[in-house]
Amino acid sequence: MKRALTLVLLVALAAVLLNAVADLPPHGSPDTPAYTHVGAYYLENGSEETGSENIVTSIILNYRGFDTNGEVTVIVTALMAVIAVLTGVQDTGTQPDAEVIHVAPSVVVRFIVRVLAPFILVFAVYVILNGHVTPGGGFQGGTMLGALAIALTLVLGERESSRLLPQRSLRVIQVIAPLTFVAVGLAGLFIWGDYLFFPRDEKLRGFAEAMLVLIEAGIGIGGAVVFARVFRLMGGRQ
Amino acid sequence: MTSWPPLLVLFVLTPLVGAVLTPAVSDASGRRSWEWALGTMLLTSAMAGALIMRVLDEGPFSYVVGGWVAPYGIELRFDEFSAFVAVVCLLGLLAVIFSRHYARDALAPGRIPYYYTLLLLNMTGMIGFIVTGDLFNLYVFMEILSLSAYALVAISGEKTAEMAAFKYLVMGAVSSLSILFGVGLLYALTGSLNMADVTGRLAGSAEAPLVLAFAALTLGFMVKSALFPLHIWLPDAHAIAPSPVSAVLSGLVVKVGILGMLRVYQIAYGSGAIDLSGLNLMLTWLGAISIVMGAFFAVFQDDIKMMLAYSTISNIGYIVMGLGLASPYSLIGASVHVFNHALIKATLFLGAGALIHQTGRRTLTGLAGVGRSMPLTTAAVSIGAISIVGIPPTAGFLCKWYIALGAMQAGEPLFAVALVFGALLIFVYYIRMVNAFYFRKPQEAGAPAVHEAPATMLVPVLILAALCLVMGVLGRLPLSFIEPAVTRLLAPLGGG
Repeated sequence: MKRALTLVLLVALAAVLLNAVADLPPHGSPDTPAYTHVGAYYLENGSEETGSENIVTSIILNYRGFDTNGEVTVIVTALMAVIAVLTGVQDTGTQPDAEVIHVAPSVVVRFIVRVLAPFILVFAVYVILNGHVTPGGGFQGGTMLGALAIALTLVLGERESSRLLPQRSLRVIQVIAPLTFVAVGLAGLFIWGDYLFFPRDEKLRGFAEAMLVLIEAGIGIGGAVVFARVFRLMGGRQ
Repeated sequence: MTSWPPLLVLFVLTPLVGAVLTPAVSDASGRRSWEWALGTMLLTSAMAGALIMRVLDEGPFSYVVGGWVAPYGIELRFDEFSAFVAVVCLLGLLAVIFSRHYARDALAPGRIPYYYTLLLLNMTGMIGFIVTGDLFNLYVFMEILSLSAYALVAISGEKTAEMAAFKYLVMGAVSSLSILFGVGLLYALTGSLNMADVTGRLAGSAEAPLVLAFAALTLGFMVKSALFPLHIWLPDAHAIAPSPVSAVLSGLVVKVGILGMLRVYQIAYGSGAIDLSGLNLMLTWLGAISIVMGAFFAVFQDDIKMMLAYSTISNIGYIVMGLGLASPYSLIGASVHVFNHALIKATLFLGAGALIHQTGRRTLTGLAGVGRSMPLTTAAVSIGAISIVGIPPTAGFLCKWYIALGAMQAGEPLFAVALVFGALLIFVYYIRMVNAFYFRKPQEAGAPAVHEAPATMLVPVLILAALCLVMGVLGRLPLSFIEPAVTRLLAPLGGG
């Protein structure tokens, strides 16, 4: 009965949604508002106005940089939430009958992680540093770095893997993404008078690029630390 | 200084930077993180004051981030409705002060710095949400706000708190998705995310997606506001959270849904592209049902915070009914009730928090006779109770009066009756509370002697209670302050 009712509700909801979506401007057609208004402006003027060779970067770091500023804060908020909820919780405390079994990872896993690690690292750094010219950037590169830290945590012992995160400066490093964002934004404010302003002058292009790289690096490192920390906290470690 | 344009963006960034740096500056006792959070809130409040002075002087103003022009860059906009940040900063400040001793006793020491971080992030999200003029930016700040709110409910670490937070998270995530979907539809129809620009470009859009967009936005915001029947997450979350968090959630966070609705109305009325009378009728009815249901359930609660949580559902009903009636008086009343209910509910939750902290009891039965040992706190809570019933000369009276007038103005006297009926029910349960405090004997002989809470708890409660009275006496000021915004909102409808 309940399932039948759910089905009827879902079908009704789907009918309403499909009916509305059918009347939307056709997807992919060049005359839709999504391609003729703000989007068209970005495509036409983006690379010239922002000096960025990558249109996506010109949007997420220049025109809509404040959104990205907010998004890195969302990620940090999630980490803060996890820390606040998991601090002081023993990993065995919640499931008294679950024995913690320490199994050494297999030789195959250890070997593969060891072989891949330097390549992952180099590629991650490449993606972060080239974010302002090619697809990719801090978010993607940071995910790779974070995945690397997680893979290494799996194969290394507790003592070695805890050294992957700088313990002393961790409280600053874990929020480095919004901090660099705000710092670069404020530099724009105090030098040129607008928050998140990047100089558009041809002569200062190198300077603007350095600012963008700094933000991407902040996002990348900050994002990686968030991933690694959430993983460790869920494993009951600090 | 007050007209320096970038002040608006610094206003959002100050609590953000303060929040993320809190764990780094804190020490083992948690004292330094409290001082840091207090300093951050003081600075943020000063900025709020400067911005409100400016909006009084010259009306709404905006700032486009990054030196771009709207709609290509992100526009922050400060209008009369944005003046809600005054209450946000005030309650944030008082909640931080209140937490000085409260957090030390209620939370594990390792969690205290992160408690302040999340509280400040919650403020950041709220402030950003209120001052942004961009739909996607609104969504981003809403996520900061929601994520921090879920964690703050769970932070005490008790099983019930974690369950309540999880329920809140599931409902909240679905509502966020609904809002994002609505924003996406508006983008597909207009190619823009800037609210003012969207308003100008909506005319002539296909009807079905337009209706769906507004429906999705309304649904999402009403879950965030806990309007009946979307309220089921609220009582547990608000009652189980630490008291300063309850004050912030019940006073401020649910209002974010209302402010979101006001933005939706600004777009819908301004564009003239859609007739919202059907939606308004539904909101008026749901508001009326919320008033009565919330009050009805509150009558049967013995847990004081549970009772206050149901009372919030009832009061959101008043506000939504005021929005739905869409007459000038009802909108003015509803907008001012957004401010006043924040003050009143914070008085009640912080007062209740002080009572619970000192006595260790949270039921009316357990708190019987507490008026003798904690006279100041109970007096403050009683003032809050009188205000929320809406007895003159307290803060609750004028807004409810205006909403009732608005019902008459809209030619719907029936809803004025619902409003009065709700107020009577509310009267009944707050009388029960006041009766328990003053006129019933303490239950157990030999209960440990209790005394007033430390100054960090008592002073915020007294300030808020005093404000409940002041806002009642000076009630005309906020009404006339919000009036131009309401007039502007209704102007496109004509005849308003």
